[in-house]
Amino acid sequence: MSNKELNFEINILPILDILSVLICFLLLTAVWIQISTIDTKQAIGDNSLSNGKNPPSLWVTLESDGAIQLSLRDLPKTTQAKVRLESRLAKTGKGIDWTALESKLSDLKKNIPELKTGIVHPGAQSAYGDVIKIMDQLKQNQIEGVGLSPLG
Amino acid sequence: MKNTFLTSSTRRSPLLEALSLKGSKSKNSLLRKDLAIALPLTSLIDAFSIIVIYLLIGTQNSGVESELSGNLKLPQATHSQAVEKKFAVLRIEQGTYFLNDQVVPKKLLTEKLSELKRNTMEQNKKQNITQDIELMVQADTEMKYADLDPLLRAGSQAGIEKLKFAVVPRP
Repeated sequence: MSNKELNFEINILPILDILSVLICFLLLTAVWIQISTIDTKQAIGDNSLSNGKNPPSLWVTLESDGAIQLSLRDLPKTTQAKVRLESRLAKTGKGIDWTALESKLSDLKKNIPELKTGIVHPGAQSAYGDVIKIMDQLKQNQIEGVGLSPLG
Repeated sequence: MKNTFLTSSTRRSPLLEALSLKGSKSKNSLLRKDLAIALPLTSLIDAFSIIVIYLLIGTQNSGVESELSGNLKLPQATHSQAVEKKFAVLRIEQGTYFLNDQVVPKKLLTEKLSELKRNTMEQNKKQNITQDIELMVQADTEMKYADLDPLLRAGSQAGIEKLKFAVVPRP
């Protein structure tokens, strides 16, 4: 057999094509875990006891039976007449009634545009995931100043 | 000429004609000259397209890479902020507190957080940064609030105002 007969090239272009398609496929289907954060500003020391005028705030209390108590505090007198200061959302079969909470928060923000502070007051047995979800819903409704209240 | 595998398998390639910039010529001239001078543009384009796709994905995920324990299932949230720099991380796993991967007993939480704040403030002072300390909290979505409460109290006593709760952004 002569040298000329042995000297042939393998066509690598289709191989390269398949490889590149595979790499693209793997890159696009890879799970990219991206962490982001929900930011809170907590009261430190005796900040919460200062005698200054507090801004209107919404307290969201998670009760042990899964119900949610919403309380409006430090509202101007003119606004107090327009809205109910206390309301309770009973739990559903699946736990917290997220739809009702969402619509309630949306209504409150519509009626009280100056409401920008929300405090979440969970119970000892409340799930952390539920607390985060409530803070997320508050932020979605432009209640940006969200804080967590300690137990007790 | 003897009929070999090479001569029988060669066919006129439109791609090679395009790369050679000489148009179609006789079969023999293409095989002898054009194969030698043609640049492997297709493979170069492939490589570049892969790099472009990689960079596109890389730039979308612009956040700082954070290590996450395999045991933790972070809660999901829609309205969250991207992580753009490194923070001190406090992880809570089954009632145990880890401050930057070091186990911290519950009783010493306030002390350790105060120490962390002091050290961070000193470093910031050297670098003329006036930013306050921020603490990232990583905890499992199923965790009870009673396990988070000691951290809130310790943070308040240590003077840590800004807490960042790690979540997975919901698409």
